[in-house]
Amino acid sequence: MADFEPKIVAFLCNWCAYAGADLAGVSRMQYPANLRTVRVMCSGRVDPSFIVKAFKEGCDAALVAG
Amino acid sequence: MTQKLLEMAGIGKDRLHLAWVSSAEAQRFTEVAVSVTESAKAQGKLDSKALKMELEAAEMTLDGETVRWLVGKEIKITSKGDVYGRKWDVETYEEILDDILEREFQKNLIYLAIKEGSASVRDISNKTGLELLRVSYLLADLEHTNRVEFTGMEDSKPAFAAL
Repeated sequence: MADFEPKIVAFLCNWCAYAGADLAGVSRMQYPANLRTVRVMCSGRVDPSFIVKAFKEGCDAALVAG
Repeated sequence: MTQKLLEMAGIGKDRLHLAWVSSAEAQRFTEVAVSVTESAKAQGKLDSKALKMELEAAEMTLDGETVRWLVGKEIKITSKGDVYGRKWDVETYEEILDDILEREFQKNLIYLAIKEGSASVRDISNKTGLELLRVSYLLADLEHTNRVEFTGMEDSKPAFAAL
C-alpha cells in the first residue's frame, strides 16, 4: 500500500503544540497533510474516550501533543 | 492506560501517539508529524467496522464509573491510603488498574455480545473470543449489577438477555 494516506486525528494544546504547528506553517516548513487538527485549550482536556471515538469514526491513528 | 486498553481491544497501542512540543519548536512539530504519519502508513488502515464491538466496549469501559473512580482516586490511594486506611504503592495500584480495566472491558464485550443476540455462554464465548469459564464468571458479575438477566433454559442451556 504505497499510496495509502492515513487519517490522523491530532489533539493539539492551544498554548504549545498548536502554536508550534502555526509557527511551522508561518515559517513554511513542509510536513505531511494527514493530520486533522483539533485545538484544545490544554492536552489534559483530552479524554481517553475522545480517542476511542476518533477510532470509531474511522481514523487510523491519533496524536496528543502538548 | 488508554494504550493498554487499545491493545486489549485489538487496535494496537502504537496507533496512539503522545508528544510534547513547545510553541517555539516548529521544527520539532514537523518531525513529530512526519514520524506519526510514517508509523500510521506502516500500520495500514484501521478496520473500524470489524472492530466495532471492541471499540464500543472500550468506550464504555473508559466512560464507566469503576474506571473513572479508580483513576480519579489514584493520588489519594497511593499517597494517603484507601478508605480502610491501607496504603498502596504505585505498582500495586497499576496492577489493580490493569486487572480492572481488563475485567470491565471483557464485561462490556459480553454485554454487547448478548445485546447482539448471543444468548448462551457458548455463543458469547465464540463471539467475544473469551474462554467459557471466564464468560460465566463475568456473567455472574453482570447479573449482580443488574445489567444482564437470566431468562431461562433453552435446550437445557442457560440463556441470558441484556437489560
